[in-house]
Parts: sequence; C-alpha cells; structure tokens
Amino acid sequence: MVTVSPDAVNGVDAGAEGDRTELAELRRQASRLLAETSGPLRRIHLRRGDAVLEIEWQAEPVTPGDGVGTSPFDVAPVPAVPPSNGTVREEDVTDVRRILPAPLVGTFYRSPEPGGPPFVEVGDRVEAGQVVCIVEAMKLMNEVVAEQAGRVVEVLVGDGDPVEFGQPLLALVPA
Amino acid sequence: MFEKVLIANRGEIAVRVARACRELGIRSVAVYSAADRDSAVVRLADEAVCIGPPDSRHSYLNAAAIVEAARQTGAEAVHPGYGFLSEDPDFAEICADNGLVFVGPRPEVMSALGDKSRAKALMAEAGLPLSPGSLATVGTAAQARAVADEIGYPVIIKGAAGGGGRGMTVVWSAAEFVPAYERTRIAAQAAFGDDRVYVERYLTQARHVEVQVLCDGYGNGVHLGTRDCSVQRRHQKLVEEGPAPALSSATLDALATTALRGALRVGYTGAGTFEFLVDEAERFHFIEINCRIQVEHPVTEMITGVDLVHEQLHIAGGVPLRLRQEDVRASGVAIECRINVEDPARGFVPTPGRLTRFVPPTGPFTRVDTHGHPGYLVGPYYDSLLAKVVVWAPDRDLALGRMERALREFEVAGPGVHTTIPFARRVLEDPGFRKGRYTTGLVDRLLGTADPPGGEPSPSSSAIPMRRTR
Repeated sequence: MVTVSPDAVNGVDAGAEGDRTELAELRRQASRLLAETSGPLRRIHLRRGDAVLEIEWQAEPVTPGDGVGTSPFDVAPVPAVPPSNGTVREEDVTDVRRILPAPLVGTFYRSPEPGGPPFVEVGDRVEAGQVVCIVEAMKLMNEVVAEQAGRVVEVLVGDGDPVEFGQPLLALVPA
Repeated sequence: MFEKVLIANRGEIAVRVARACRELGIRSVAVYSAADRDSAVVRLADEAVCIGPPDSRHSYLNAAAIVEAARQTGAEAVHPGYGFLSEDPDFAEICADNGLVFVGPRPEVMSALGDKSRAKALMAEAGLPLSPGSLATVGTAAQARAVADEIGYPVIIKGAAGGGGRGMTVVWSAAEFVPAYERTRIAAQAAFGDDRVYVERYLTQARHVEVQVLCDGYGNGVHLGTRDCSVQRRHQKLVEEGPAPALSSATLDALATTALRGALRVGYTGAGTFEFLVDEAERFHFIEINCRIQVEHPVTEMITGVDLVHEQLHIAGGVPLRLRQEDVRASGVAIECRINVEDPARGFVPTPGRLTRFVPPTGPFTRVDTHGHPGYLVGPYYDSLLAKVVVWAPDRDLALGRMERALREFEVAGPGVHTTIPFARRVLEDPGFRKGRYTTGLVDRLLGTADPPGGEPSPSSSAIPMRRTR
C-alpha cells in the first residue's frame, strides 16, 4: 500500500501491466504541472485521446477545519458519541478530550499497510502534525494528522470501517 | 430497476427524488454537507452520509466523496438533481468508471450539448432554427464586432460553457461592444474556466418557451409539451406556466416536434429541456438544451400526469420508454411560482435566517415542493430557492385565481427573512401577465414601476446582504 498526500495527483491506481508506462508519463506530466502552477489547485484533468488538459484552481484559499468555523450559520461540531460497548470511562468524556474528525468520506485504516503495526495505540503520545491514521477515498490514501500534541485515549472507529465527513476518529488529551 | 439510488443534491429537489424512490420501492441514500445535517431529505431517505463541509466545492461538488458514499452504501445509481454536478460530463464518467449509473444523458452527449456553441451546430444540423448570430465562437474582438454589426443591435454575448443565466452580456450599441466583449470573456473564464464566447441577436420582445422531452436508450422519445418561462429577473426564472399561453396550437406543436427531433438526432437519453426564444410573429429560435431535470418540471407533471422523476429512473434503469406520443395527453393549465428567500425590495438579495413560521398552502390542485419547515435554518451557503408552489386548473383564469389563493395562504416568517411571495403576487396582478401577453421584459417593467428600495420599512432591514453561492 502506497501512502500519498491528499493533494497529490499521483495516487492513481495502476491497472494492467501495459498501462504502467502511460501512467508513469501521466504522473510525470502532472507532477510537472503541479510544480509549475501557483495557488491551490482544485482539480487536474488530463486525457490523452483528443488531448484534453484542464486545470481548475480554488476560487479562494481553503482553510483547514472548513465547516467548523464561526459564522452564525455554523454547524455544531459533531458530538463525540461514546461507543456502545461501554469502554469509555467517565473521566474521558470531559472537556479535555479533543476529537479528531474524519476530513473526508472514506475507509478508516489504523496502519499504513494491511497487517502492519498501527500508526498509534491508545496511550501513545503524539506530536502536532504526526500521522495518526489514514482515510482512503477513491483509492487515494489520505493521511490524517494530529492537530496538536497529546496522548491518544481512544480509537473510535474500527480498522477498515467506513467513515463519513466529520465522524470522530480518535480522542486525544492535549499534552 | 434499481434497488438503491444515491441522491447527489440537497434542498427541495433532493426531497423530490427521495419521494420518487420511495414510491417506486427503491431505497434512497441522501448525501449532505455539515450545514444540512438537519435537512428534510436526511430524515426522508433510508440512509444518509455526510460528505463534507458547508462549502459546496468540498461537499455537493465533491465527486470523490459522492462516489465513496455510493460505494459505502451499495447504491447502484446516482440521481444528480439540478445544478451542482448534474450537467458535469466528467462526473457522469467518474460514476460509470466506478460502476454507478448516472441518471442523465451519456457523458459524451452531455459534453457536446453542454458546449452551447457545439449544441447550436448540432441542432442546426438537425434542422432546428437558430437566432441570427455566430454559430461558432468568436476568437477576437474584431471578429465578434463584425458579427454584431452584421446582425444588428442589440446583441447578446454568451459564454460557450455558460448556463443558468450566467455569463451573458447584452450590448445595445456598437460603441459599447468591445469593452462588453472583453468583460464577458473575463467573466466566463472566471465562472466556467472557459473564455470562449459567441454573439447572437438579442430579442427584446421575446418569450422564453421550452419543451420537455423524455428519451430512452433505445431510440424512443416523446415530448411533453411546452412551458413558458419568460418571467425572469436577470435570467433567473420566477414564474413558469404550461402550456405557453397565447401561442397558436400550430406553433406549440412545431416547437415540440422540433425539439424531439433534435433530441433523437443526438441520441439524448433521459429527461431534457430544449429552450427557445419566440418573437412576436411566433418565429422561434433554439437557444440551448438543459441535460437535467429542471426546477419547473412540476408544471409539465401537472398538465400531463407523467411523473418525470419516475420516468428518469426507469430510463436510467434500462427500461424502454413506457409512453408513446399518443399516450401523452396534456390537459388544463399549470402555473409555478418559485418562492426564494430573497428581498425583492433590495434587489432580490438573499435573506438567510431561521424560519419561525412556515405554513405552505394546501387545498385542491395545489402542490408545494419544499424542504422548508418551521425552525428550518436557511443558510447562506446555497441557492435561495425555498419552495415551489404549483397549481393546476382546467383553464388559465382558474389557474391564476387558484395561485393567488395559494400564495395568500403561504406564511413564511423569521428574523431577517424575506421571500419573493409578494413579488409573485404582483406578477399575477399584472394585466399583461393576466392576458398571457408578456415577454422576458415583464419583470424589469414591474421593477421599474416598483416602490423605491427601502420604501417598505421592516424590522429586519439591517440584515446583512449575503451573496448567492451558485
């Protein structure tokens, strides 16, 4: 399993052996485009037959945490629902718990490869920016990072389970 | 037929599609942004998946999230509604690549028809009359100006990739042409990522008449008559009716059969709308094709008794068209008023807020398609359409009376919230409208004689104007 950043366009799944050269060429072209263009891109669309190339820019910079902002129309953050198996101790469900929500719809993975050791275990200390899990969407492995340093107190989703946008993935207590 | 369909939209059309699914015994999946967590379709659908933040670029326009939601829930097809991804050939292709049926025309047909310039060329080949102007896009200001000078002013400059009334400029004289041309190109580039434009004659006294068609994947097609959508403000429709009034039955027939010929010629599948401009002499010119279910589709449903969303689902499911042309029998008159959360006294600025009161009209032959309810928070993120009031009656006078009655019953209130209900009532009172003799100039005429902005003081006049998001 290859892990790539969510913004990279080279996460296309290689199909048959014969496609590989073509794919490699596409990746090279896309990487070059990424390097040459400025500003946050929304989409790159390449096609070989009839030669189409479309680049779409973000209309405005997208801030992280988009949707959990401050306007009066803002939506309440997703509540951290304790799992029904009752493993959550009372003291965990307090203000100090920080919930890490899913940044996109997809499949939740705890480890970088099937059967491999998980990114983090309950009790581990994590640093801000550290990769703590993956959400796969359309064969792209999107790394999810801790926003601040802390200790993992609970993993709220099972490995391989589907998650929706904003669903609580991990609970951390800030260090 | 499908067992499970994902609805890639929000608002009243998502509710409309969820209802159709329920009626046909199809399970439905709603996808929603974080702003629509408490929306009607989330409650009505069998399942619901949150696909992103309020910003539609990361939710309702996020093809990857929608496809993931379909995969997670096992949906076999995606109904795109209108707006958002409904006319995006790339999205249709992504659906196909992921084993999902896109409820709409094939991607290559949608791609050809979505380019207005190509659509015009294809329709010219099929024998549809075009308005005088450039068939192809014009590459330079000098070329464009030459076309404009030849066809005579006023002209309209339109973006080839435009739609929904955006990216157009009317030019009244040769002196204004070049700056307007440059402006339109820049605007088209910004809005659609494509700066190609074309020029055609602008009809000041025209009616906007459209024809509904349904075609299957086996070469069968029917038309379902006409709708008049001339009551527009800046190319946004406010009131629609069917059949188009005050046109001869020969013209109505010619419009309908011409549209169907065009649809069959390009291998159109699903529900589609062919738009035409009709002048005083009842000459008509093709404008464009909308490759989706339209906001005003209930007008046609009321006069034909055909459920267009049911038919879309049957066609997408591979069922041969169940209607022959002789099965389509139009009767009576239907009128639709779009109720937007906007303040007509302040240039139709959207006025989002929470609805403290929401009592839609009921009663005989009165249909209201809405996602609103008391306590509903109209957010600033999306289109301001709140409800569509549609009435049917055996004749036009009765239909007008019924609509007036329905609008009088409709109660919507909330801090800072205004609606287009009072404006719709003014349209209905207009003598020209009542006679069925009106053109696309009607709304401007009404606004010209309207009370000056701010003339109606209201406790909420300090509400902050918010811009429409799509």
